[in-house]
Amino acid sequence: MKNGFLSKLRSVFAGALATMVVAGAAHAQETSRLDELLSRGKLIVGVSSESPPFGFVDEKGELVGFDIDIAKLIAKATFGDETKVEFVRQSAAQRWPNAQNGTIDFGAQTTSIYADRAQKVAFTRSYIDGGVVMIVRKDAPFQKLADFNKSDVTIANLTTPTQEERAKRLFPSAQIATFDGIAAQFNAVKLGRAQGAQLDGPVAAWYVKQNPDMRVIEERLTDVVNTGIFMKPGDFRLWQYLDLTVSEMTGGYLFADYSKIYEKWFGTKPLNVKWYLNQPQK
Amino acid sequence: MDAFVIFFTRYLPAFADGFLITAGVAALAAPAALIWAIVLIIPRLAQWTWASRLVDAYVEVMRNSPLLVQMYLLYFGLPLLGLFWSSIVCGVIAIASQHGAFLSEILRSGIQSLSQRQWEAGSAIGMRRFAVIRLVILPQAFIKVLPALGNQLIVLVKDTSLVSAIGVMDLTLTGKMTIERSGASFEAFIAVAFFYLILTSTLGLVLRIIEVRAARRYG
Repeated sequence: MKNGFLSKLRSVFAGALATMVVAGAAHAQETSRLDELLSRGKLIVGVSSESPPFGFVDEKGELVGFDIDIAKLIAKATFGDETKVEFVRQSAAQRWPNAQNGTIDFGAQTTSIYADRAQKVAFTRSYIDGGVVMIVRKDAPFQKLADFNKSDVTIANLTTPTQEERAKRLFPSAQIATFDGIAAQFNAVKLGRAQGAQLDGPVAAWYVKQNPDMRVIEERLTDVVNTGIFMKPGDFRLWQYLDLTVSEMTGGYLFADYSKIYEKWFGTKPLNVKWYLNQPQK
Repeated sequence: MDAFVIFFTRYLPAFADGFLITAGVAALAAPAALIWAIVLIIPRLAQWTWASRLVDAYVEVMRNSPLLVQMYLLYFGLPLLGLFWSSIVCGVIAIASQHGAFLSEILRSGIQSLSQRQWEAGSAIGMRRFAVIRLVILPQAFIKVLPALGNQLIVLVKDTSLVSAIGVMDLTLTGKMTIERSGASFEAFIAVAFFYLILTSTLGLVLRIIEVRAARRYG
């Protein structure tokens, strides 16, 4: 009996030891896309080319925007050279397969963090957040959000889930038309197809600057949406590297660079995520 | 596989709605396109020279401009003229006017392939020109071009996906919506393709039955 117990114990130990050895070996060989991009010497980043001011093509035909500059900042932090980055222009729908099948190292594409999405891609913490506002024609009679909740009002939505939910929650009586691009959504309002459209605050500010016949409703749709960098799930080293870079941008040694980019595109200074570092507003 | 099952069960209601919208748009646009095609070949059959030239010009324009551009022009352009037709109406008009042009060309080829004797035989028994067209020429031409017509109608059904660009929540836009929600692009597009397949194969079956019957009756 005793012998049996001891031998059992021994085999359990042996099994545990073997498991540890195998796991250790596996850990030592764990390949990460981080090594790949470091030896490649440049980043491959998925971005939008049709979402001003985050990623769009300017008059000179160059790809510019907040997300573009953020990607360049990550390249600068990684290689000490902000030009070491190759951009892959992708549509909203192309984001997910490109991240999942390794076409891109990661995406910086004005992408809001939702649980549903986080089941398919890995998100870093948010590198910018923003509220959502309603945009209307300048001559429209709307003053506050409640004015939109009428059956003869059409709200132009993007295909994003939060817009749909928000419209149903805030404007249950209104009609809804859905578009798969911000430009079409915006044009629907501009040309009178719809009376209002939800846009991210920075995007709305940008569009109103370009189109003086449009305005933003003062009252905000109070939701905060977090925008994260996304990548193929399961690569812990790369994810941790990117998440750390983002954390340094929003509240660490890269904050000065980040502030410069933020101010360039949005005209205001960002607040440091470390609240106790922010100077009291005078 | 599990991911697929979870995805389908979760989004089936949305896809069912999209499927109905797509089927509805197709059910409106296909007959409209057919009727329009018949209207377009009348001038040629009636030998109205000027009207025929107009139709030729129209067919050229329709054949050589993308359907999506036509939809945008109708949907975003008409409001500038004070016309606010709904997105479904704009979509159906665009599809019917373009596919009507294609279908009328197909019909024309069928009519031209008929022997001159058919016309002569019709007149010989004292029919008027329009009676010959209605009773002799068109039925025979239709049967001749049924396979080509069927092809074009299947293309028409697939082209309804373009109404997603002007805010109609059809199958395609439902697919895009579910991708945005879930990040599951492959599952969503496979679901979309599957539903289109159901629609077009049903249509194909109906066309097949019509072909067989027509062959039995006139063949």
